[in-house]
Amino acid sequence: MQLLQKSLAAVLCFSLTSVPGWPQRPSASAKQLANTARPSNKPRPEYQSGQLQGDARILHALNRFTFGPRPGDIGVVRSIGLDLWFEQQLHPASLDLTDLNARLAEFPAMQWNPEDLLFRIPSNAIIRQAINGKVQVPDRGALHAIYENQIYRVAEKKQEQAQKKVAELNKPVPSAVSGPSAMNSGTSTQSEAGMSPNPMSKDPSPMQTSNETGNGMGPMNMAATRPTLAAPQPAPAVPQFDQAEIDLFLNLPPQQRLVRLASMRQPEFDEFFKALKPLQRVALDAGLTPDQREVVGALENPERLVVEELAAQRLTRDIYSTAQLQEVMTDFWLNHFNVFLHKNETMPYYLVSFERDVIRPLALGKFEDLLEATAHSPAMLLYLDNSESTGPDSPAAERAEIAAARKPGNQKKARQGLNENYARELMELHTLGVNGGYTQADVTQVARILTGWTVERPERGGGFEFDPNRHEPGTKKALGEKFKDHGEQEGRDLLHFLATSPATAQFISRKIAIRLVNDDPPQSLIDRMAKTYLSSGGDISAVLKTLYHSPEFWSTSVYRAKVKTPIEYVVSAVRASDANIDNLRPIANELRTLGMTLYGCVPPTGYNWKASDWVSTGALVDRMNFALSLAANRLPGITASWTPQADDSAGTMLATDDVSAESEESRLESLLVAGGISDSTRSAVLQQFQQQSAQPQQGASTQQIAAQRPALRAQASALERQDQVLAGLLLGSPEFQRR
Amino acid sequence: MQQMNRRFFLRNGALAVAGTTAIPSFLVRSVMAQTLTAPNRRLVVIFQRGAADGLNIVVPYREKNYYSMRPSIAIPQNQVLDLDGFFGLHPSLSSFKPLFDQGHLAVVHAVGSPDMSRSHFDAQDYMESGTPGLKSTQDGWLNRALQSEDIRCDCSHTPFRVVALGADVPRTLAGSIPAIALSNLNSFAIGGRGPAPSPAANAFEAMYGDSGDRIFHPAGEETFGAVKMLRAANPGQYTPSSGANYPNSEFGNNMKQIAQLLKANLGVEAAFTDVSGWDTHQNQGSVNGQLSNRLKDFSDSIGAFWRDLGDSAANVTLVTMSEFGRTARENGTGGTDHGHANAMFVLGGEVKGGKVYGRWPGLDNEQLNEGRDLALTTDYREVLGEVVSRTLGASNLDLVFPGAGIAPNNFLRLV
Repeated sequence: MQLLQKSLAAVLCFSLTSVPGWPQRPSASAKQLANTARPSNKPRPEYQSGQLQGDARILHALNRFTFGPRPGDIGVVRSIGLDLWFEQQLHPASLDLTDLNARLAEFPAMQWNPEDLLFRIPSNAIIRQAINGKVQVPDRGALHAIYENQIYRVAEKKQEQAQKKVAELNKPVPSAVSGPSAMNSGTSTQSEAGMSPNPMSKDPSPMQTSNETGNGMGPMNMAATRPTLAAPQPAPAVPQFDQAEIDLFLNLPPQQRLVRLASMRQPEFDEFFKALKPLQRVALDAGLTPDQREVVGALENPERLVVEELAAQRLTRDIYSTAQLQEVMTDFWLNHFNVFLHKNETMPYYLVSFERDVIRPLALGKFEDLLEATAHSPAMLLYLDNSESTGPDSPAAERAEIAAARKPGNQKKARQGLNENYARELMELHTLGVNGGYTQADVTQVARILTGWTVERPERGGGFEFDPNRHEPGTKKALGEKFKDHGEQEGRDLLHFLATSPATAQFISRKIAIRLVNDDPPQSLIDRMAKTYLSSGGDISAVLKTLYHSPEFWSTSVYRAKVKTPIEYVVSAVRASDANIDNLRPIANELRTLGMTLYGCVPPTGYNWKASDWVSTGALVDRMNFALSLAANRLPGITASWTPQADDSAGTMLATDDVSAESEESRLESLLVAGGISDSTRSAVLQQFQQQSAQPQQGASTQQIAAQRPALRAQASALERQDQVLAGLLLGSPEFQRR
Repeated sequence: MQQMNRRFFLRNGALAVAGTTAIPSFLVRSVMAQTLTAPNRRLVVIFQRGAADGLNIVVPYREKNYYSMRPSIAIPQNQVLDLDGFFGLHPSLSSFKPLFDQGHLAVVHAVGSPDMSRSHFDAQDYMESGTPGLKSTQDGWLNRALQSEDIRCDCSHTPFRVVALGADVPRTLAGSIPAIALSNLNSFAIGGRGPAPSPAANAFEAMYGDSGDRIFHPAGEETFGAVKMLRAANPGQYTPSSGANYPNSEFGNNMKQIAQLLKANLGVEAAFTDVSGWDTHQNQGSVNGQLSNRLKDFSDSIGAFWRDLGDSAANVTLVTMSEFGRTARENGTGGTDHGHANAMFVLGGEVKGGKVYGRWPGLDNEQLNEGRDLALTTDYREVLGEVVSRTLGASNLDLVFPGAGIAPNNFLRLV
């Protein structure tokens, strides 16, 4: 590492002083920006070769504390004053989130607690419980239909698997797979599943409670007329849908459409959705309220609805929130306390609450609070298996031993005991860092301290529970400290010890600096941040303030030094484009293509913030293609408009014959790539554009041009196509890959 | 995702320091001038990220203590696929059994990195750098193996010489020799897949070619070199050989694309991919379950790959590794925690397979590493050293594994 730092420093210094090109070019434009800036009122300390000045400072701050500048952001910050803007970012409660909240209202389910979410948009685990009679199926309305649809699918899948297994075993396939769950057909499953009022369902689950209370159930309780399932139905013939039928359906008033959908039975429902073309699927939602759209989504695929809305609300915040620093730090902590979306079927549901209730509210708060909250969160307890860990000498383990001794043949049952997973990652990844001075013995002891920290009814969305029966008795020695047997408090003592450790202060400060400054931040900066961390009781805002007031942060040597990670690249491109977004799926999908699926990191390390992991041939191809697609409006539901409309003040352009590529490039460059591009990039863009405009164009723009006269419209759309190419090239340029 | 590939810093650092005397790589690797003759031997490296449980993969089914330490997850004697009367494969590795019986597949047991780290991140980093315990190493062992080959032979190479299937270039491949990473051959084109480059592709090529950016200039150059070559080769829709049934999984798809690249005669010398999901702390299962599912995907993908290659498999060697093994005893939650030594597979036309290599340290309590893990008797670098010297001709093993003292005398003689 030291060697690397030295060689990097050498490269940086060398490049700055004598190699033409990057990073000299950006620093040159930084100087240009500085020339136009007003004089700074406060003298700034010197660091290395120089400090950023004027608008370059604003741009730098926007690049690091936000997901990239939107058009006009620099002017806004200039008018507020950079220092005041940063203070506001540290206090998101002071910011106006009206626009964001209006957009988030599209996802009402994202406000529910895990229990309600699991009940109303059931996971497959819930559905299996419903099939087994452990969860009562709601007896009316859309909610009933959601369960019925999914029970059919789960049963169908199970039947397929059973048949496959039978075929694999090369035995004669029985005419019907027998068994207590009677999976042989969808309809008979439904009759067995306790859909009718059934004495099997005695479980006083919170599911039932929330069903009865119906608080905020909205359209889920909508009285869709629907036959009761008490009597088994004969398996219906698979219906075929022709386009005329679909068009008729889509032309129904919204409410009728919904009622019809909720009363459609399987397999008709799935066949209908299979017959829909993508645009028809979009049309199906037209005119529905957000709650109603969620009902349709849940009827179609409940778990996918939760996964997609989770990603959509996150991207909505990243793109539109005015509290950008809060979102940047939420992204940072979600990665620091990584939880993998598909650890189990319930995890997407717990992640909604993990992000909303644990991470975001504390993203700028005290680290110890954040650590405590994650340690108590069902998401983390399940992801790193602590919910399963049992003290080897705890009452629960002893009882299990006795039970096993009574049945000596029963060796199959796993013994109850320790699981080290969370204990190790808590120290290695969450607090001390891998060189933080702990041993394997410490890992085992910390695991003992945390026994009993578990989740109540984890498949139903239950909360944290401390189970004294599973807690390891006795005093534990770990990390040179004695932790007396205090039940749950013992774990809190441990978390306090870890949160206040100087090793943690260093580890957290370095990681924040890697995200916000450069890939190898100077030790002087980390030491200053760590000092603030310790003196402020681990106050993340105070640490960020120290960073903001450090000369290292404003050094010209770190200007545009960070390569954008996929989420930073994709979100910054969308922000810069100011595109109108009706559909966030293409953006979530692009993150998957680029290897940075939201909530999709399997190992607890999280994604790396350094450039090295994100620059590769394949990734570059994908980034360029994304830029071209975004700019040319080829991402469904995302529309960018590059050409000023006729009714704009700049709309006079449309009427002129000579909109030169140069002037358009210049306009779009200032709009899209704050800080500018190099001359060589510019000439590559322009040269290609000139060739481009000489060729016949394909793929007309879908943009609505305000101008009415056909000739003007044709001219405008040619201009629009030219601008789409220009914008795509600018968003795919090397300069836009950096922040 | 978790490797620290410092390739770009390294190579461009070297260029910057050397100044004008360094020859830009694009002059050396002129795409059109290359011959497309395949090199004699090709190496495929697979990393099982997350620490695979070697004791349940190659099962020491004659060890009494194996069964007493793993009461709920052990593979019963009558379920293993017997290899030699002492070891048996997990039943989900049925695709491996014929390869072992035919003498193509060798197993090395009680092998791994001598470093005691039980951190996934550090242990992977060490294993991939090839210098356990030493954090300052900047490049990966496979890149150095190719550097060693270059010292021996002044051969020409294509942009596809070193390929990683995945979103990023792994630590194993980091270093001065350019490696490309891609996830999907079918989308490896800019602005559409026509026979001629799209205008946008030309503009981007000029843009990145002329850029002074020390990361994006070389990355762009490698990208366009590879894109052009792939377009020229026009691999089209790929149909695997009959009987090569790849699982419909990310790993299966990666193995299929490696086979496609090898068969397209693009000059691939080394290919890498990884497969995750081995961190079975909880409820890992026995004959069935989590680990079993992973193993089925793993072995069926490799089995399909082998079948797909057909005759060309003769000069291919494939080696697998994982950062460490898992505890000999099952933990309190039906899984296993982070351990030490593990098992590796070596598959190839020239491999002396049908044998389990390595000294077996035993599983009695006093034979365990730190009283909890399978002890290590073979340094994984002895296996890799033999493989790279036989396949890539990398004879300078001090360069490939500096400080490890890997000498041909210590080879297991499995290739």
